[in-house]
Amino acid sequence: MEIADLPICTSHRAKLLAAGYSSLAALSAADPPRLALDLNIEIPEAEDILKIAVCANKFKGADGPSSVIKGAQNAWDMLSDEQSRKHINTGSGDLNNILGGGIHCKEVTEIGGVPGIGKTQLGIQLAINVQIPVECGGLGGKSVYIDTEGSFMVERVYQIAEGCISDILEYFPHYQNKAPSGQEKLKPESFLADIYYFRICSYTEQIAVINYLEKFLGEHKDVRIVIIDSVTFHFRQDFDDMALRTRVLSGLSLKLMKLAKTYNLAVSCLPY
Amino acid sequence: MRPAAATHPSNSSSHSQQEPRAANPLLLLPSSRAAKLSLGCPILDRLLSGGLPAASVTEIAGESASGKTQLCLQLALVAPLSPMSSSCLFLHSDLPFPLRRLRGLAPKSRPDLLDHVLVAAAHSTSDLLSLLSRAQHLLTHPNDSPRRLPIRLILLDSIASLFRADFDASPADLRRRSALFFRISAKLKELAHRHQCVVVVTNQVVDVVEGETGNTVEWSSGRRVSPALGLAWANCVNTRLFLTRDADGPNGCSRRRMKVAFAPHLPERACEFAIRRDGVFGVEPSER
Repeated sequence: MEIADLPICTSHRAKLLAAGYSSLAALSAADPPRLALDLNIEIPEAEDILKIAVCANKFKGADGPSSVIKGAQNAWDMLSDEQSRKHINTGSGDLNNILGGGIHCKEVTEIGGVPGIGKTQLGIQLAINVQIPVECGGLGGKSVYIDTEGSFMVERVYQIAEGCISDILEYFPHYQNKAPSGQEKLKPESFLADIYYFRICSYTEQIAVINYLEKFLGEHKDVRIVIIDSVTFHFRQDFDDMALRTRVLSGLSLKLMKLAKTYNLAVSCLPY
Repeated sequence: MRPAAATHPSNSSSHSQQEPRAANPLLLLPSSRAAKLSLGCPILDRLLSGGLPAASVTEIAGESASGKTQLCLQLALVAPLSPMSSSCLFLHSDLPFPLRRLRGLAPKSRPDLLDHVLVAAAHSTSDLLSLLSRAQHLLTHPNDSPRRLPIRLILLDSIASLFRADFDASPADLRRRSALFFRISAKLKELAHRHQCVVVVTNQVVDVVEGETGNTVEWSSGRRVSPALGLAWANCVNTRLFLTRDADGPNGCSRRRMKVAFAPHLPERACEFAIRRDGVFGVEPSER
């Protein structure tokens, strides 16, 4: 379905096309305040347009005369997709810069290094930072943390959550006062509660969890990042057949890439 | 956080096991705060933010006579008296077991503390693996010996001795050795996680001749040393404590330091300690 087919009034349609929203994908990535600003209309009208676009998206599978293969996008749509996508703040400005804004969604990022260098700390920081509310520039999502080594220390996560909250309050001092109705104050406990934690003790459990993730993510659509710490630990023992090991690991990474694309989330693997 | 959809009876025929279940870190918080094994000295406990964490493998590395075994013996005697109230399983590969020192460390009023220390000798890696399987059985069936406290502390002294004799430096042997590290470590971590145990492993050191290895390097007794067994083993432990010794203390006696080389929950910091007749205790810098 094109913008041209949306059941909205002609003037809005013209404004959408003029502002550069040429496809439903670009429209679905926008939020009401931004759309209202771009189109120079009121916020409730922008919300209406987005609601209509969301309904249209649901019926998208029924007809697609404009795409030769179902799901094909042209490069212009992909570019506007990428530019409108949000990134996950890593907590370091320099690291964000070299990553192009932060950890990207729809991609698998690998973080490697010697023991003690900070991979687990970065993983925990990402699990917390993904929960930064949308009003403060974050994704407001939840995280899945798959721990194979037992290095997820809850008291450390609590400390990092406290640090993140004090950072948010430093940059957005009015956040506490004008929090939208029904939303609680920022507390470290709520950050902890929004991490889904899996502890696995063998490679069979690891394969099982990654297979199960598809179903889990289908039920928990607000997960925005999956962190696996560490992907390779259980594969360094008991595998006499190296070719089998390579096949299993490649299969896992393909599944993760597919999950990242389907559910619009970032996957962070910390190997070693 | 089990999703409600997992109760379909039709699924049970195809899934013989339970689906993976997500845990909520918020619920783990109070138990993780409580489950730390104190070292028996407030200064050392402060270094470790409360003590050694449960469900985690801690390595104590240091050169010979730096205090590793002393610390292990002290932990074995502190465990029954601590809030964890546990027996300990002491696996030793350095012979003989220091029984006299253990007797000397136990307080005179409590000779029964020795009843809670289970000792087993491991002469090779296959010995160790079979001992760990037996330990798994012991831990899953605590009611077989009701008079003894449950085992919540496992000490292995030392991991390096097991690998010194049987392995050459050829690539095939090194690969076999690395695979064994991960196997042993996975077994230890599984025991630690399933039964919420504190696992302590001691390690020896090797001299560092030149270059950066990526592994921990410290100065001890006037030379640069690094924990034995290389980078592969360093990936297998959660926390590493390094004990070093310098000869330039006051009155010519050695100054000993315990340093946190890496830990998921601790900053890198160090403190001084001394080995006295009644055990290993931290020393405030002003007390020298």
